[in-house]
Amino acid sequence: MTDTELVTVDGVWNFQYRYFAGETASRFFAELRDERRIVGRRCPGCQRVLVPARSWCDRCFLATTEWVAVGTEGVVEAFTVLTAAFPGLPEPPLAIAYVTLDGAGTALLNFVDGLDLADIDASAALLLDRPRVEVMFHDERHGRMTDFHFRLKD
Amino acid sequence: MPACFVDGLAVEIGPPDPARNLTELIFQTVRRALDDAGRDIDEVDSVVIAAHDLVDGRSLSSMVCAPAAGAYLKDEIRLGDDGAAAFSLAAARLEAGEARCSIVAAWGRASEGDPDAIARALFDPITEGPFGLTELTVSALRASQWLGRHGRNGSADSARAAATERRAAAASAHPGAARRLVAAPAGVRPPAAGSGMASPPPAVGAAPWPLRPGELPCWADVAVAMVISDRESPVRVAGIGHGSEPYSPGDRDLAGLPGLTLAVRHAWPSQRAPGDVDIAELDGLTLFDEAIAAEAAGLATPGEGLRALAADGRINRSGGSAAGYCAPAMGLTRIAEAALQLRMPERSTHRYGGQSAPGDASDGGADCAPARSARWALATGSSTVAAQTHTAVVLEAQ
Amino acid sequence: MAIAGVGQTPYRRAHADASTGDLVFRAVSEALNDAGFDRGDVDAVVAGVAPDALAGVNCIEKSVIGAAAPPGAPFFRVNTGGATGSSAMLAAMTLVAAGRADVVVAFALERMGQAVTSQQVFNTIFDPIYEKDFVLTTITMAALRASLLMARYGYTERHWAALAARNHRLALKNPLAHLHRDLTVEAVLESPLLAWPIHLYEACPMSEGACALVIAAGDRLPGRGPVAWVHGAASYSDSYAMGDRFDRPEGTLVDLVTLRRAAEVAYRQAGIADPAKEIDVVEIHAPFSSAEVMAYPPLGLCTPEDGPAYVDALIDGDAGGGSGGGGPGPVVNPSGGPMAANPVSATAMIRIAECALQVRGAAGDRQVDGARRAVATGQGGATQFSSACVLAAEPPGGP
Repeated sequence: MTDTELVTVDGVWNFQYRYFAGETASRFFAELRDERRIVGRRCPGCQRVLVPARSWCDRCFLATTEWVAVGTEGVVEAFTVLTAAFPGLPEPPLAIAYVTLDGAGTALLNFVDGLDLADIDASAALLLDRPRVEVMFHDERHGRMTDFHFRLKD
Repeated sequence: MPACFVDGLAVEIGPPDPARNLTELIFQTVRRALDDAGRDIDEVDSVVIAAHDLVDGRSLSSMVCAPAAGAYLKDEIRLGDDGAAAFSLAAARLEAGEARCSIVAAWGRASEGDPDAIARALFDPITEGPFGLTELTVSALRASQWLGRHGRNGSADSARAAATERRAAAASAHPGAARRLVAAPAGVRPPAAGSGMASPPPAVGAAPWPLRPGELPCWADVAVAMVISDRESPVRVAGIGHGSEPYSPGDRDLAGLPGLTLAVRHAWPSQRAPGDVDIAELDGLTLFDEAIAAEAAGLATPGEGLRALAADGRINRSGGSAAGYCAPAMGLTRIAEAALQLRMPERSTHRYGGQSAPGDASDGGADCAPARSARWALATGSSTVAAQTHTAVVLEAQ
Repeated sequence: MAIAGVGQTPYRRAHADASTGDLVFRAVSEALNDAGFDRGDVDAVVAGVAPDALAGVNCIEKSVIGAAAPPGAPFFRVNTGGATGSSAMLAAMTLVAAGRADVVVAFALERMGQAVTSQQVFNTIFDPIYEKDFVLTTITMAALRASLLMARYGYTERHWAALAARNHRLALKNPLAHLHRDLTVEAVLESPLLAWPIHLYEACPMSEGACALVIAAGDRLPGRGPVAWVHGAASYSDSYAMGDRFDRPEGTLVDLVTLRRAAEVAYRQAGIADPAKEIDVVEIHAPFSSAEVMAYPPLGLCTPEDGPAYVDALIDGDAGGGSGGGGPGPVVNPSGGPMAANPVSATAMIRIAECALQVRGAAGDRQVDGARRAVATGQGGATQFSSACVLAAEPPGGP
């Protein structure tokens, strides 16, 4: 019997979802869009202000209570600069960072601006220093995390 | 079997609720189960979860979901199986002395994804994929084989109608029946509550032949949690068993569930016969799956399954898949239902359609409350693909 | 109980000539032969399969049930992402310890050879509500940690490159490894930058294959050849949100709190007080060279602050020579680790399999002389799920 040609069959893995953000996240998004505010919720157990707002604290396993508006400046906890392109993901170069805003007990993620990404090493050196950043709200806001980004403070 | 008791439970089944995201639904259900058990999260030393990435719409969904189930700095494991298997593994941890108090949780929100598309992806892309097989179509194949064997010339018609009616009545009688679910036509997602869209009635011809609309599951958003521990409680876990079957539908006896028969045989304490249960909560996607499960579990002889569902008051008082269905939560839901029926009328922590169940047996409807002397309950859960692996759990009232 | 048998397929980008069932059958058969059992002896099977999207088939383990389990046997599927392989082992151990089974096959299957790209899949593991819009992937999440390690402890890009080169060099002796590359540090640094500071050669490849273990209760073992006795094993899960873990009383994001706890418990069960002296081999589950260093302190190899110095010593051969000489401390990743092969579902089980082979003296060219005790780690999620498993040549409590 002659050698058999190996068969491969093409397929697509493409599923549609609609994720319910829930009341708490919806209010967080509304505050972003309508009030240009970033809000968190305080856990009655550990007293942390969880940002972005969440209705429960997993450390204490309790429902969070009080809404708290946090500052629009903060410090970079960790960062990276995406430099390679991958199918289905936005075009590089892109810098992302986790930032703890003043008054928040947790850090949140967004893009970082104010860097010369053509010089990755210089950008990285800047970000390694735990610099301060400020929140830049976009003129057009839709009630999503992309309504703002972080910018390095001078 | 070493000491293993049901400490607490909570079940939530309902139409889509956009006010809560998935992790909130899970957190609230697990929180209620802990409260039902009178336990602090610090007393928990194990968490066993059942969830499917595709149902959750997130790869490795336990990343976001495990903390919602109480897993923070705990020994947690996630099975990609029906929730009854998670119950079994959690019990095994207790039996092994690896843990003393475990959360078990399972969920599925039919409203966030497309159940048919998800089911189609279960089948081999080369041999079965081109034919668009889903678990529902396999259920239809089961029904046609069963009818071919036991229901020729309409001989099963009256039992079928009666079983359908009883199932619907049981589902209606459950707490929260005011926000009743409607069987969703294949391929259509239930609209969100408050979305302004009325629930569409089931479309004629939407059920794959020979299934009828009333025999279909009602897609729902389901979250269920239990707390089991070595601490004495009114409900003891008396036995657990497992069984499995070949993958390809063509390799299986579709009119039977031999894997379930095996599971039930292993779950029963050796001195009792399977027919001696007082309560049976049997998992099944459709009415026919439930009927075949009744036969496989020894509660009815082959060919009598539909009649048993119509007339045997022990079976699926909860209404089964007509009361709300989303894999992989259903086996754990059946176990929780069985436990609840064993300990009713003391407490009820059910919530259907977002409303709490009243804690009083009289509100549950006459059909819900078992006889006072109920002692043994059997609960079953079946996993993908199309009921290929099975778990059976026997509970005993103390 | 012990790991009585180990089976592994070679790990490749794609096994185009093998069906999924073939892969599982090969690994399971090899493990059963190795253990001296046949399929009829198997009481239960635990299948480890991580995200279904990587294989492009929902619940692929169900389709290969016949390749691993006797008809009708109890069959479970575990999915804890990267930790799947070790979670499957731990679940198998639970069944044996509970007396539910005496002989359990645990297998882990990765079919990502069928994936055209994996990063897009990995983007979907993150929270769709608050985080999906930002290019979070396994690479960027590792890069976030790498940058934090550099800021806090003074690691440099050279450290990451040197560890990668070291792992690749070790893999040259592992015929099962996917990549066999003899790389210099410079070659690694010159490879394309994926996400600062991670270069291509510091990242794991996409690999597929299957790994299987036969776990047996002690009383089923007499009369068989050397086995790998389980002395300790534990796992813990952490919070999901990275933003919640930067600074907290329990430990920072890079402290690998869950591995620290898992290792503490596993070492305590094993009666190990000084791991750097008592352990001969360590197999660390780190899909990126920078991730490896987070495991050293939890495993007791060095303090977090001494990490860079420890890496320097590993590279220079002043550490990690095992009991065979060449510097104190266990040999790290004699298999080459996930740098050289990362079939996602199986990687954590492979670490256990490799440790099992080491303590049995059955690791071929990559055998560490005199290896008697080994520890394997497993990682899942974004440093969220961790496990530690201690194996030894002698039964617990002596021969």
